[in-house]
Amino acid sequence: MSEPQVDVILEACNMVKRYPGTIALNDVTFRAHRNKVNVLIGENGAGKSTLMRVLAGVESADQGCIYLNGSAIAVRSPLEASTHGIAIVHQELSVLPNLDLSENIFAGRELVKSGVFVDRGSQDVQSYAALERLRKPMPVKTQAARLSLGARQIVELARTLAHGAKVLILDEPTSALSMAEVDSLFRVIDELKQSGVTIIYISHRLHELLHLGDHFTVLRSGRVVGEAPRADVSRDWIVERMSGRVNAAADRDHIKPSKSATVLSVERLSLAASSGDEAAQAPVHDVSFKVRQGEILGVYGLLGSGRTELVEALAGCRKKSAGMIRLHEKIVRIESVPDAMNAGIMLVPEDRQRDGLIPDLTIRENMTMAATRGLFLNRTKETARAKQLVKDLNIAARNLELPVTTLSGGNQQKVLLARCLMCSPSVLLLDEPTRGVDVGAKAEIYRILRHLASQGMSILFTSSEIEETRALADRVIVLCQGGIAAEFADSEVTDEALFAAASPTVGTTATPLSGMPAL
Amino acid sequence: MSAAISTPAQAGKFAASSARAVLWLLRARAILVLVLLLVFFTSMSPTFLTTNNISILAKHVAISAILAIGMSFVVLAGGIDLSVGSVAGLGGMIAGYVLTQGIIIGGSIYYPPVVVAVLLTFAICLVVGFLNGWLISKAGVAPFIATLGTLYIARGAALLISNGKTFPNLAGLSSRGNTGFDLLGQSFLLGLPVSVWIMFLLFAAAAILAAKTPFGRHVYAVGGNERAARLAGIRVPRVKLMTYLFSAFCAALVGLIIASQLEAAHPATGESFELNAIAAVVLGGTSLMGGRGSVVGSLIGAFVIGVLADGLVMLGVSEFWQIVIKGVVIVMAVAVDQLQSRLQSKFLPYLSQASGEVGN
Repeated sequence: MSEPQVDVILEACNMVKRYPGTIALNDVTFRAHRNKVNVLIGENGAGKSTLMRVLAGVESADQGCIYLNGSAIAVRSPLEASTHGIAIVHQELSVLPNLDLSENIFAGRELVKSGVFVDRGSQDVQSYAALERLRKPMPVKTQAARLSLGARQIVELARTLAHGAKVLILDEPTSALSMAEVDSLFRVIDELKQSGVTIIYISHRLHELLHLGDHFTVLRSGRVVGEAPRADVSRDWIVERMSGRVNAAADRDHIKPSKSATVLSVERLSLAASSGDEAAQAPVHDVSFKVRQGEILGVYGLLGSGRTELVEALAGCRKKSAGMIRLHEKIVRIESVPDAMNAGIMLVPEDRQRDGLIPDLTIRENMTMAATRGLFLNRTKETARAKQLVKDLNIAARNLELPVTTLSGGNQQKVLLARCLMCSPSVLLLDEPTRGVDVGAKAEIYRILRHLASQGMSILFTSSEIEETRALADRVIVLCQGGIAAEFADSEVTDEALFAAASPTVGTTATPLSGMPAL
Repeated sequence: MSAAISTPAQAGKFAASSARAVLWLLRARAILVLVLLLVFFTSMSPTFLTTNNISILAKHVAISAILAIGMSFVVLAGGIDLSVGSVAGLGGMIAGYVLTQGIIIGGSIYYPPVVVAVLLTFAICLVVGFLNGWLISKAGVAPFIATLGTLYIARGAALLISNGKTFPNLAGLSSRGNTGFDLLGQSFLLGLPVSVWIMFLLFAAAAILAAKTPFGRHVYAVGGNERAARLAGIRVPRVKLMTYLFSAFCAALVGLIIASQLEAAHPATGESFELNAIAAVVLGGTSLMGGRGSVVGSLIGAFVIGVLADGLVMLGVSEFWQIVIKGVVIVMAVAVDQLQSRLQSKFLPYLSQASGEVGN
């Protein structure tokens, strides 16, 4: 009937969320349409995940109201969200590996009989029903540790269904999945939509979104910069709104390093599987590659491809089980981080908060952390070197004596970069160099890395973003299930080729992706 | 006037300055409490601030302060050392044994000089510290459990040395050439007890170690974020080991001082001292989660506990009430600490803005 008066099930009005040093949500109003796939899209750090965490009750907003079916609701905890029928499946899955499927599906909300005892029977039946609804019937007594990532995702979905979710938030659900698993996930989403579930879908894989989405909302730097139904949306429309994106490939100006000397040479590197997780196979096996002086080598791979494990092994914080590492033709033994540092290899880790920053210490102390040697600290020298790097890397920090947590994500990343540069490494490793970094800082980090390469530093970075890999790398190797699946020179790489090489089951299924608009 | 306040820049400045003031008060709370206690007890008891009394007070404080200084590094690095009281007791017993029973070498008893007895005490106590550090950093035992174990081991060893008896007459005999042990705990230098000088020297050294050396920086880093510290090339196990060694060193020192003060070594010496040390560290604003705090805080914390205890005794407050009051003070200190860290994270945006305006 009145078609334009759209049917909004969930509305978040004028949401504001501040973190120290940054505003994650700046007056955002987001509407989710009933029984549709509502796509939320934006760069890293645009505020997508924050908004979803607020909707799911994981965090509370500083200002703003949430309306469900037109009436205001309070969502102060994940439990409260779930009583309203709002559920989230996080990017990092929260399946408990030591429990079986039905225990997982009812974890925290166990069915009881006689008021005390866990009702295993009903749990098993309902779990199986939920899995069947997802077209993935699995034995509910299987231990979750035995499942593949894709299957674990299904378990998470089943968990939300078993609790009667009406609004389902999927945060980057495909980042860890193989092509075939992505296909079946899409079918599941379609069926959920038919059966009356509203989906909020977050991703930055444009081709998926264009295939799946019914309604689009674009976030940039904590604001809504575009909202439209699928009919009005094109790839260009999205990119236009998401960006402020600098075309990073354009200012590629340094000399092609194809003739320079080999600096790092990795031969037949293998890593042992971490113990405890039965599903884990050896994260990296039999990987060989070289990095030349002044070259930027990109390692493209999906989550679980072994990219993080590879750079961690090179940086000395993960034991290798076989293989050889040469630096300037000499074999180096890397058993610990100090070994790697002495050899001239340093890593900027993927997860800044967990592996990089020391939150109680100041910006200066964080920057100089790796370079503290000798008997006494030299405060004057520390400050001078820190100030120099603040200038070189254009870090927005006017007072170096404040805690490092006062900085924004991009500037925190630059502090970690500065920490490495203080030790003048000959090989710089970066794991997802611009994760959670805003667009401006992203471009700046690319510029800095390219400048470093032009000065002769060898750089190896990993990425799960095609755009980033293409923008930054002189040469790309693709990791898939722990092995090198392909290698491309800068000139020959295409989005499709990268994605295909990185997906474990390429070519075995006719995929709906093939009919989609090209990137 | 309200119009002036309402401009954003001034509102920001106002918020920043009041935030600064509140945070400064919270950070300086230990010393404020100490001053308040001193004023209170002085007004209540005219003899409280006499030289003699202060000297006795300082002697009491020195014991828990030395343990607290050692404990500071352990706690800053994210650990805890429950064994210090037992190690102090063990230390005293080792010195007592060597001075009164001698060492049997080749069938005959040899009485080594005091220096040897002291060095032997340090050596054995450091073995316990090494065991703590090894269990925690290499064997992966939780600090609470590892040091709880060594608490019992060291106490048991102390009892075994003498079969539970006290070693008296540690002053030594000139015929054996081992006199002088009593100097450590009983002599004065420039009007202050030697043990108080030791406390201040140790404090100075520890403060420099914490603030001016790479080791100190690494301790804060390990306590603040162990994974990040490791990735920054810090040898985390070594740093942890050093903190437990230093803590055991301080505990041995306390054991020697007490044995020297009493001229006797009793195997139960030091029971529950570890709790006093931890209380002093926490009162001084060091976070039990690690990474945040200072050595000077621990020293002030030890003074707060010492002044409170001695002051209450002078006022004739019952010993049982003293224990209750001590508990209340510790609980309040930790509650205020939580308040501080919450306020700090809340005000940080203002502070960083304000510092931006000031420039650097």
